[in-house]
Amino acid sequence: MSNIGFTAYLKRDLLLSYRRLGEAASPLMFFLLVSILIPLGVSPDPERLAELAPGMMWVMALLATLLSTEGLFATDHQDGSLEQMLIAPQLLALPVLGKVTAHWLVTGLPLTMVSPLIGLMLSLPPVAMVPMMASLAVGTACLSLIGAVGAALTVSLRKGGLLLSILVIPLYIPVIIFGSAAVQTAVDGFNWLGPLAILAAMLCAAIALCPLAIAGALRLVSSN
Amino acid sequence: MKFQFDSFQQMMEMAGHGPYVWTAVLVSLLVMGWLLVRPLQLHRANLKSIARQLRREQRRRGAGEEKQ
Amino acid sequence: MASNRDWTWFYRLGSPRWFYETTGRWLPWLWTLTLLLLTTGLVWGLGYAPQDAKQGNSFRIIYLHVPVSFLALAGYYLMAIAGAIGLIWKMKLSYMVMKSAAPIGAALTFLALFTGAVWGKPTWGTYWVWDARITSMLILLFLYLGVLALQYAFHSQESGNKASAILALVGTVNIPIIYKSVDWWYTLHQPATIKLTSAPSMHIDMFQPLLMMIIALYCFYALALILFTRAEILQRERKAAWVCELALQADKVAAWEAEE
Repeated sequence: MSNIGFTAYLKRDLLLSYRRLGEAASPLMFFLLVSILIPLGVSPDPERLAELAPGMMWVMALLATLLSTEGLFATDHQDGSLEQMLIAPQLLALPVLGKVTAHWLVTGLPLTMVSPLIGLMLSLPPVAMVPMMASLAVGTACLSLIGAVGAALTVSLRKGGLLLSILVIPLYIPVIIFGSAAVQTAVDGFNWLGPLAILAAMLCAAIALCPLAIAGALRLVSSN
Repeated sequence: MKFQFDSFQQMMEMAGHGPYVWTAVLVSLLVMGWLLVRPLQLHRANLKSIARQLRREQRRRGAGEEKQ
Repeated sequence: MASNRDWTWFYRLGSPRWFYETTGRWLPWLWTLTLLLLTTGLVWGLGYAPQDAKQGNSFRIIYLHVPVSFLALAGYYLMAIAGAIGLIWKMKLSYMVMKSAAPIGAALTFLALFTGAVWGKPTWGTYWVWDARITSMLILLFLYLGVLALQYAFHSQESGNKASAILALVGTVNIPIIYKSVDWWYTLHQPATIKLTSAPSMHIDMFQPLLMMIIALYCFYALALILFTRAEILQRERKAAWVCELALQADKVAAWEAEE
């Protein structure tokens, strides 16, 4: 079947991150640790925290995802398996999508799962918990896809980290706007499905377009 | 159409808005000037370095021929 | 075969040498036109245009701010299109145009932000507000900086070209989405005291110099782009015979002038 590349790379990457659990858990640890800094840095006052929580949690989730994006293709590039993927006969977009899905399962999904805990600590109103999880689940998938474009472009550079964030953060902006807006509208007591639907539309567009850009970037950049 | 200011002094002040307007103008002209001067500098530097390299190659070739 | 031959004009268009020689003929005219339009437009706008009823003289910054913002945004599309042409037809020249457009665009975006801030202080009492348009402009600046940074991060010229062309294209797809979402975000958080709506309709005496400045900035952009591209052509085609000849000629002239 034509999706062989997809499942093979999905399984492979999941297995790899299972073997390197410490590395895979670092975005999650980052998310937890930074959330300690906010009450210490701003104020432990529950009301002020509740006001900041929707935006802050989204910013932290975004940075945590960004942190893990750099390694998406870097290790494969170093050990040569990226070359193997590039010369394989199947459509490159599928294995790429498999890798990105694995990346989301390892970073975005755990972030979504622990977000109620962080929300509790930052006194996010209970009504906003479900919208927070839903928007993070959809939004981090977008972030993984967009970030992968940046990771593919900088894969052959030795110090790609800072460059990656310059490239990717402007592209992240629509996601964070609608992600935090979904939570905020829920806090304000309005229907939060609107922003979430837009986020989902962005995800659809990203699933359709990003793998092509990633595949193009990997091919062009690694071709010489 | 008539000139809006009675004196140079008045034009500089622009009824209190002068500093803002003239900073905007000055910075714009500086940046735009740089955008025109910089490529000319690059152009000249490139020509020079190419010429220098050509001369070096010529000398080396000349030296090689003498040895033979 | 015939269909192949039909495209030769297109490839000739993409020849750096052709571009260099043709623009060399245009340059004196373009220089004159640009400087003439810029000076006239500025003097007209700063000295002769009537002052705004509400904003007074600070309004005159519009004659720089609006044209510069125009070109900053249009420049991104030009850069992305040049990159796309490079990727599709592997045309060397269009990569050079793309690379040249990046610093010009970044500088103009910076200017748009700067003149906007300086205009904001006397008019709204603050240099910076998180207004939709200002925020979008700031994001545009970072998009430009990303393309610039990526271009110079690669040792190989070719990888840098391709990577920044892809990034420019991704950015182009994103710009409308970014603009729309920032707009939407702003309506959500719009502060009640500050409203940056555009002037409803401009008086013709104010509009004429503005139009002139916009045309002047277009000419300026073309001039800067051509100058940067010409420098880039020399850099990349330094092995070509015609460039060597050019360099030797310039060298002879310089030596002759030094003797004088």
